[in-house]
Amino acid sequence: MSRFDPRAKLFLLLLTVLCAALAPDLRFQFALVGLIGGFSALCGRWRYALRGILAYGLLCAFTFWCAGSLSGTWRTMFVAFLGLVHKVYACGMLAGTVIATTRVNEFLSAMARLRCPRKLTIPLAVMLRYLPTIREDWRFIRDAMRLRDVSPSLWGFLRAPAMTVNCLYVPLLTAASRAADELSIAAVTRGIENPKPRTCLVTIRMTAADWVVMALFAAFFAIELLWTGGIL
Amino acid sequence: MIEFQHVSFRYPEGGEGGLHDVSLTIPDGQCVLLCGRSGCGKTTLTRLVNGLIPQFFPGELTGRVLLDGEDLAALPMYRISEKVGSVFQNPRTQFFNVDSDSEIAFGLESQARPAAELRARVDRTAEELGIRGLLGRSLFALSGGEKQRIAFASVYAMEPEVCLLDEPSSNLDAQAIEGLRRHLALLRSQGKTILVAEHRLSYLMDTVDRVLYLEDGRVAGDYSREAFLVLSPERRRAMGLRAADLMAERPSAPPSPAAAPRLELRDVSLSYGKRTVLQGLSLQAAPGEIIALAGPNGAGKTTLSRFLCGLHRESGGQLLWEGRVQSPRERRGRAGLVMQDVNYQLFAESVAAECVFGLRRPDTALAEEALRELGLWALRDRHPNTLSGGQKQRLAAAAAMVQGRELLVFDEPTSGLDYDSMTRLAELLRRLSVRGKVIFLVTHDFEFVCRTCGRALWLSGGGLRRDLPVTAETLPALREIFHVR
Repeated sequence: MSRFDPRAKLFLLLLTVLCAALAPDLRFQFALVGLIGGFSALCGRWRYALRGILAYGLLCAFTFWCAGSLSGTWRTMFVAFLGLVHKVYACGMLAGTVIATTRVNEFLSAMARLRCPRKLTIPLAVMLRYLPTIREDWRFIRDAMRLRDVSPSLWGFLRAPAMTVNCLYVPLLTAASRAADELSIAAVTRGIENPKPRTCLVTIRMTAADWVVMALFAAFFAIELLWTGGIL
Repeated sequence: MIEFQHVSFRYPEGGEGGLHDVSLTIPDGQCVLLCGRSGCGKTTLTRLVNGLIPQFFPGELTGRVLLDGEDLAALPMYRISEKVGSVFQNPRTQFFNVDSDSEIAFGLESQARPAAELRARVDRTAEELGIRGLLGRSLFALSGGEKQRIAFASVYAMEPEVCLLDEPSSNLDAQAIEGLRRHLALLRSQGKTILVAEHRLSYLMDTVDRVLYLEDGRVAGDYSREAFLVLSPERRRAMGLRAADLMAERPSAPPSPAAAPRLELRDVSLSYGKRTVLQGLSLQAAPGEIIALAGPNGAGKTTLSRFLCGLHRESGGQLLWEGRVQSPRERRGRAGLVMQDVNYQLFAESVAAECVFGLRRPDTALAEEALRELGLWALRDRHPNTLSGGQKQRLAAAAAMVQGRELLVFDEPTSGLDYDSMTRLAELLRRLSVRGKVIFLVTHDFEFVCRTCGRALWLSGGGLRRDLPVTAETLPALREIFHVR
């Protein structure tokens, strides 16, 4: 398992956004998802990678089926919606891996070296740290919903959508606003705003592995551009 | 030295927690306990020392707070953080990293200490605090008490002159509180200045030099440790303070009512996946009983309460209600749970609506009765989020009453409650008991157990080890269970 530099991960995210937005067809999207799957596996998340690729394969199959078998309003609706999903899928999958594998201190220290302004990096760091707490929140909220006879499942959502959404977002928002406040307080009372360039317990530096994955993604982007431009 | 010179503060939204003309001096190396009712201003006082007021919480501030002669309002937060360390109530939201080592180093990294020094300091901190075993662990896999230790360590590593703790014991069990007490004693022996704002006083009584009692934003009492300890229990209660000496507590709850058992557990086993948490659990409970559920971390208290409420499926055995075996779904229909963090279970936009939330044919007369009985009727149009912690708890209990739930489980209901709120909670439980509810309390609060429970269960080592009535005869055993020494 390799650890990649946060700067390299950010670069990959940026390239993925561009690749996904400019991808000429589904083959490119699928290849991109495959590439991200490979990267995730390198980060030690091969199960996540497999599931991500498999789910995307099913999504592609469903898209083909929609385009071929449906007609009229349904077709327009589904194809338009799926188009949107295809555009964000790759980015979401990569973001999942980046968030799960990046330590907050690595991120802050990398951003300091890139000379990013603190006004930008501190809120991002709080967000990065907040995301995993949602999972813990969800466990409690699920219990609370079940005790109120609201089913926290897809079926429950289809039966009573307004109720289910209400039960989710009210406590989640309350928890989120409190957690964000408390996390910020914990950060400022430990001097996160110190203007000196942060050091890091874990040494971060760009290694050969970082350059290789960055080159791979860049090459993918170049091929995509050439293909779109009709040169390939 | 910390000096308050005629300090007054008002939060922009008004309300509780402000300060009025506070003047005091805290010399170096003193360990000070700040106490008083919820909203008395003790948290506000700590926020003025660590600079969160006025920099994070703006409001109307007059007067000056000086640290070693420097006006704190004029210093940036990061400069204050080099001298003042802060530990907060909620262990879940005061760590920033996913691994313990990085977390301990966090403050040092902000100060841009060189990498070699970081490693050495992290190791030394772990050594001195006796938490070597917590190094290199994922913070998400730690218990609340262990997280709190890491939070403390990360402040300790920065070697601040002043250490502030705002209700640090609220979410801790008895063992973790004991660990916290030792850490405070260590800080004190190093000559640090310590300020602790707390409702639970007993664990601090060996450590503090001075007790400041706040009332409505004023310093209403300034005691030495000795003077504070000789206050009579009646006086202390009138001041709204929790017990200072748990050894003086005696069981005072009415005995469990003699009635035929309604709930029965027969040889219940509970597990998560392949890991068995509890085994061979058998017990009976009668209507009106209030039963404390105690035990060390990971002994299965939470799993058992989730099982009682139908949120966790048994891996063996049965739960019977009035002689009939209950499926998880039936249990869910019968049980109510008041969570430790009650915010997760409030969904509606008003107190009145919360009571009948999700019911198809709500009984509005019963809802009104429940709200009146629990003292929430005057608040019926308020948004649940604007209530105090104790009020939210009562609201969750009211909702369970309106839903007709007969088995009620309260998870750590006294965490963060002052004496008055605790008394009201005890009153609520008594009313529920009179109505014939079977009540379980997951708690390690000895004072509260003495006041409310007729019976105590102790879980340990994967099973039910003790099942005791709470009476004068069982006091020695109870003290042992609740770590009271």
